[in-house]
Amino acid sequence: MPENFRDIIKYAADKISKRGVDEFEVYAISSKENQIEVYQQDIESLSFSESSGIGIRIINNCSVGYAYTSFLEKHQILDCIDRAVANAQATNSEEFNTLPQSDDYLYPAKQGEQKLSFDNNFFNYTMNDKALAAKKLEYATKARDKRIIGISNSSYQDSEAEIILINSNGFFDSYKKSWCYLYVNAISRSGEDTSTGDYFGYGKHLGEIDIENIAGNAAQKSVSVLGGKKIKSRKADLLLHPLVGAQFLSLIAGALAADSIQKRKSLFRGKLSEKLFSLDIDIYDDGVMPSGLASSPFDGEGVYKGKTAVFEKGVLKTYLYNTYTARKDGTKSTGNASRSSYRSVPSVGINNFYIKPGKSSFEKILSSMDEGFYVLDIIGLHSGANPVSGDISVGAKGIWVEKGILSYPVKEVTIATDFLSLLKSIKEVGDNLSFMPLNGFMGSPALLIDKVMISGT
Amino acid sequence: MIDKELLSRVLAEMLGGGGSFAEIYTQKNRNNSLKLEDSKIENAVSGFDLGCGLRLWRDDSIFYAYVDSVKKKDLLDAARALARISKSETNARSIEINANQSLGDRSLVMPSAVDNDYKKNLLLKVDKVTRDYSQNIAQVSAYISDSEQEIHIANSNGVSSYFTLQKVILSVSAIAKRKKEIRTGHKSYAKTLGYEIFEQKKPEDVALEAAATAVKMLEARGAPTGEMPVVIGPAFGGVIFHEACGHGLEADAVIKDASVFKGKIGKKIASDVVTAIDDPSLKGHWGYYGFDDEGCRSSETVLIKDGCLMEYMHDLKSAVKLNQSQTGNGRRQSYRYMPYPRMSNTYIANGKSDPKDILGSVNRGIYAKEFAGGQVDPATGDFVFGISEGYMVENGKIAYPIKGATLIGNGPQVLKKIEMVGNDLAFAPGFCGKNGQSLANEVGQPTIKVSNMTVGGTET
Repeated sequence: MPENFRDIIKYAADKISKRGVDEFEVYAISSKENQIEVYQQDIESLSFSESSGIGIRIINNCSVGYAYTSFLEKHQILDCIDRAVANAQATNSEEFNTLPQSDDYLYPAKQGEQKLSFDNNFFNYTMNDKALAAKKLEYATKARDKRIIGISNSSYQDSEAEIILINSNGFFDSYKKSWCYLYVNAISRSGEDTSTGDYFGYGKHLGEIDIENIAGNAAQKSVSVLGGKKIKSRKADLLLHPLVGAQFLSLIAGALAADSIQKRKSLFRGKLSEKLFSLDIDIYDDGVMPSGLASSPFDGEGVYKGKTAVFEKGVLKTYLYNTYTARKDGTKSTGNASRSSYRSVPSVGINNFYIKPGKSSFEKILSSMDEGFYVLDIIGLHSGANPVSGDISVGAKGIWVEKGILSYPVKEVTIATDFLSLLKSIKEVGDNLSFMPLNGFMGSPALLIDKVMISGT
Repeated sequence: MIDKELLSRVLAEMLGGGGSFAEIYTQKNRNNSLKLEDSKIENAVSGFDLGCGLRLWRDDSIFYAYVDSVKKKDLLDAARALARISKSETNARSIEINANQSLGDRSLVMPSAVDNDYKKNLLLKVDKVTRDYSQNIAQVSAYISDSEQEIHIANSNGVSSYFTLQKVILSVSAIAKRKKEIRTGHKSYAKTLGYEIFEQKKPEDVALEAAATAVKMLEARGAPTGEMPVVIGPAFGGVIFHEACGHGLEADAVIKDASVFKGKIGKKIASDVVTAIDDPSLKGHWGYYGFDDEGCRSSETVLIKDGCLMEYMHDLKSAVKLNQSQTGNGRRQSYRYMPYPRMSNTYIANGKSDPKDILGSVNRGIYAKEFAGGQVDPATGDFVFGISEGYMVENGKIAYPIKGATLIGNGPQVLKKIEMVGNDLAFAPGFCGKNGQSLANEVGQPTIKVSNMTVGGTET
């Protein structure tokens, strides 16, 4: 962090307040990042950076303007203010365009402590430790199975950041955030067939990551689909790996943002209080979950976060709101204003979003299947799923299940359904919740889905 | 942006830890965007980025750091930190920057000369035209975004390349609704030029194309499932080559044994009718640049000629490693990222068939006109594509639109199954993601026919 970062932010705020605009906000991030990639036990690349920048939001006559700068010289900050003010003249005026005030908050008190998003143990690890972790991961993954011929990527990434927000309603608060991430992708070969499998781990510091667990999962994902074949097109039950469940859940989560609802771009419009699942499923968006990578005390516009029940017993209870969309619907912000950096305007996003686990173990669900497809991996989610129409059609690989037993690998097939059918057709929820970072932090247990169309030969 | 003396000094400091190659990438970028939705201008955002990426090479390792600054102290600090981390014995040498190449690509109408009012009116017109197209249009979103960039690359081999670039993109999404059916249509128009691009094509025409797709798709029936012949339409259809084969031809994947095309140079990898090219030097195209992001002059690379694999796409590192020449494909999203081999404007060259004859040759199959995008695993060549505008073909004629269709297959296998290539080459802009970096890319293709592919749908 630049020594005078707080001074810079105060300088910006002070200069804007003299411009006579109705409201303003300065959102600032200062961060340090490291990234290490290893290849055949050597460092292939190592990068590090320290950076900081500010984003300025102006609201004048209920019109919003935005500008940011990564270069924090005084004349650039003044230029940034000029641009934000000018941009506020280009956008439409709307009464709901205001900064949050205390009566906009659904969760009025700060629930998160500093440790929610940051762990001091982060500082216990040197660059050397981090490089070693990626090397260990590469080695451990390769050692798992003779059929693994190479590791195309074994990498470590981390970030340590301070987020500061100041606005003209008197909000001035900050929090620190730390995260680190290990990733590996294993290539395996058997005869003519090549297959890949990847896995990852994350935590607020390196000590929270289980390297052997990542290695084992990546290796298994890679070799278990070797020799996979196409199957005949048919309808079949699907057993979704928790991380596949999480990917489908991310689609649904996006369609629950109040913004999509208000703009008539979501199938969940008009469905509040309806039971959309056939099972009594609970789904939460928890902004203050202690182990969540998306946890922080306040959201992208300074609204304190909490735990929101989105579905309870299969019934849609609420959409997810920032201040603008909440005012428009005459309700309160759920603390879901999200922004990926100081370069972006706050929008409506997801915090830690997950399906509450059920009671059945994975093995029990598997053994209950007469015939079906255990989906280990899907590809093409961003292009094969239309969040507006709700159609889903993605590529998949995995293992065919016969009489409760994993019997042979399957690849190059697609599975097709749509959002609402998918919700309705969940037959069973496992007890094994797993999370992954996906425009928020998504978590799902294994899910058993009734009769979905699979396309093969 | 930084004087020559300081550049030399920073490069020399970087090499102080015993590295063999050092580079400074300096970039200034001003960008502006306006977004419309719900018939309102929702966002207006202006950004300013200025900073340097420092890259150091020691043995086979790359060390990288960036700073949001062009100040002497910040640059020297970063250079010393890199030298320290690349460690070991000092091996100082002085750096001379000799070769100075520069390219000023000035647009006729620079983005900075165009005010918000012009862009606002353009978006409002787009909104109106889209909504007027049909009473079924339920929602329109559109954005216009521009950037003006200055880039300077200096390295310890003496290279010094300076260039400027301007880019403008207009993107329109239409949502059509009838009873419970909701369909979408999307169109982008983008060039590496200034605002004069709207003299070549009117924003209204972009809007009409998006609206037409959304409305047409309201008639769509469920897509079939199983293997069948697939005709892929011109322009954005080229995304299938980009994903299914292009990524496997980027040399970093080849080096890591993560490409199905490893060891195939000079070999037949596609049917005779296939010639494929990557060409960043196509002026004005969305994937255009005069120098790549390592300062290498751009030029055409023939990847596949008459079915034969000719060359991979290289950055400096892969070229040195494989003892090949640089192809000008070293690209990065900004000074915050390391360069990798990436595609630019990638296309399948014109063939001899009349598109009508191509369609006429299909008894029962699919015509995939527009894609929502796709994804590939370069190590296996397995890919999928979501079809956003597709049709059922029966007895050589387009029968009806289909929804929810996906194509799945394997790149090398599909290359061999391309039976016919049309003579109607056209291009379309897009964005490509790799290693966490998103870049402007253009794809191109004439109409082609693949003898059979798996179509994923909902109907048997």
